[in-house]
Amino acid sequence: MSDPVVTPLGRGRFLVSSEGRQRVAYGVSASGSTWVFLDGEVAVIGPTASKARTTAADEQASLTAPMPATVVAVAVQPGQKVGAGDVLIRLEAMKMELPIRSPRDATVVAIKCREGELVQPGVPLLELSEA
Amino acid sequence: MFTKILVANRGEIAVRILRTCRVMGIETVAVYSDADARALHVTLADQAIRIGGAAPADSYLSQTTILEAARTSGAQAIHPGYGFLSENDAFAAACAAAGVTFIGPSPDAMAKLGSKTAARRIAEAAGVPVVPGAVPRDQSDAALIAAATQVGFPVLLKPSEGGGGIGMKEVHAAADLASAIAQARREAEAAFGDGTLYVERLVARPRHVEFQVLGDSHGTVVHLFERECSLQRRHQKVLEETPSTAVTPALRSRMGAAAVSLAKAAGYSNAGTVEFLVDGHGDTAHFYFLEMNARLQVEHPITEAVTNVDLVRAQIEVAAGRPVPWTQQQLLQRGHAIEVRVCAEDPRHGYLPQAGALALYREPAGPGLRVDAGVTEGSEVSVHYDSLLAKLVAWGETREAARHRALEALADYPILGIRTNVPLLRRLLEHERFVAGDLDTHFLQTEASALIPIDDTPSADARAVAAVVQSRPPASSAEISGAPDPWTSLRGLRV
Repeated sequence: MSDPVVTPLGRGRFLVSSEGRQRVAYGVSASGSTWVFLDGEVAVIGPTASKARTTAADEQASLTAPMPATVVAVAVQPGQKVGAGDVLIRLEAMKMELPIRSPRDATVVAIKCREGELVQPGVPLLELSEA
Repeated sequence: MFTKILVANRGEIAVRILRTCRVMGIETVAVYSDADARALHVTLADQAIRIGGAAPADSYLSQTTILEAARTSGAQAIHPGYGFLSENDAFAAACAAAGVTFIGPSPDAMAKLGSKTAARRIAEAAGVPVVPGAVPRDQSDAALIAAATQVGFPVLLKPSEGGGGIGMKEVHAAADLASAIAQARREAEAAFGDGTLYVERLVARPRHVEFQVLGDSHGTVVHLFERECSLQRRHQKVLEETPSTAVTPALRSRMGAAAVSLAKAAGYSNAGTVEFLVDGHGDTAHFYFLEMNARLQVEHPITEAVTNVDLVRAQIEVAAGRPVPWTQQQLLQRGHAIEVRVCAEDPRHGYLPQAGALALYREPAGPGLRVDAGVTEGSEVSVHYDSLLAKLVAWGETREAARHRALEALADYPILGIRTNVPLLRRLLEHERFVAGDLDTHFLQTEASALIPIDDTPSADARAVAAVVQSRPPASSAEISGAPDPWTSLRGLRV
């Protein structure tokens, strides 16, 4: 099996030759990752593993918005005991309601957002007691 | 005929309406929110007017601001597109009071049909069959629970106002009803300002087939055949096609006649869509009236593809008082058309909507293809509006020809920078059940594992391309502005 040969064609287009066949691919760097479109499939390569690990560690104590969204309701109060799967916060984005649920049994330590607020992904909305 | 039209919408539908206005030699006025100041629709109009903040309530739903924009720009008519104010009878009435033509049905017909309950009564009176259901006058939880129990589980909870699947909840057991009522009511209030709910029996394995109609102010109504819209996710359509594989010529003529009599009974003018559930197959299949959408539909291009008409042009003509431009006999269905909705969402992560910039966006082209898009390369997809980026419509002499054109087109439709459902749409078009035309409204749920594979590992070829992208400096301005110089860029790079 031979390695694929990639020829830049300009403006994010690439000619890919492998296994005796050639196709056009598209590639671009955006928001810290490399995005490739080939054969109707999208590959997103990166961000780096270390950054991903940090995010996972943070999520154990705090819950974050998965995308930019508006906080519709905060269903809990600091000090409240919650069970796995309980809805803690309701977000709304692109006309859809997105419930943020508790990943486990825990106590709400702090609430870091308020109703009506537009929140960004990755920013903590609420902190839970340690597992 | 109007000499200036204001388009009170955004995204792909605003772009599509503006194009027809230009072809008709009508001047255009676009309106935009702060989030859309540089959006595609704004750049395509002769004039653009800011109407407020990013939130729809502050801009695209602001009736007084939009009417003021029509007055200051001298537009004689407003095209509302779909969504936003398109099915708001109070807005249609306000337009009439301000001396501006609303391109759509009369406020009276809209009010009757906009309420699902009143629409059901019209259908029943016109002899059109309806799905068993109820709208309790008493909207308390207890009364809704009693109504659902009477209709019989499973039930579908729907907002009485609005559409687009917002606020609709399937409930399979009485125990889940209370939380579903609360959520449906909240979503309906947020989206339509009215939390009135309606309870309907859920038909098992139903097909969703709708008929396009067009009426004029002289009492003529014609239909432009059906659209099959069974491929849905949470009541949002994903793929539509015409003709429907479930509709035989005899069934088509029965359903078409029912659609026309319903529209006539409602005193309907302009473009509208009569939605039916089809139960069973063949000439004797049952169909039930679901609702009438008093507006242009998202999926109208497939009808245009098989009938060779411009529905927006016809809308503008009948709004100006002209008769329906065709007789029923002149309208013919030729070939097959498939539309897929390209959305900014990530099917791998629960179809989470995606917001961000389109770092790379290139539309496919070729015989039998049409792309209606509201975005272009560099566009910012905002969190404030729905996730529809573009509609790809493929036409062919046969269903297979249209399907292959759609598949090829999606393989040549790179959208990078945010996740989209393009890979899912390709797998959908290749699915053996889709190829066989064996569809129902649960298809995307039941076939999810085939449509969303777990293995997300990039291919060796994709990794090779990524390595080349990473090894190159950010694109130079020369590379962006012009064609590459083959003598400098045609160099094989092995990785």
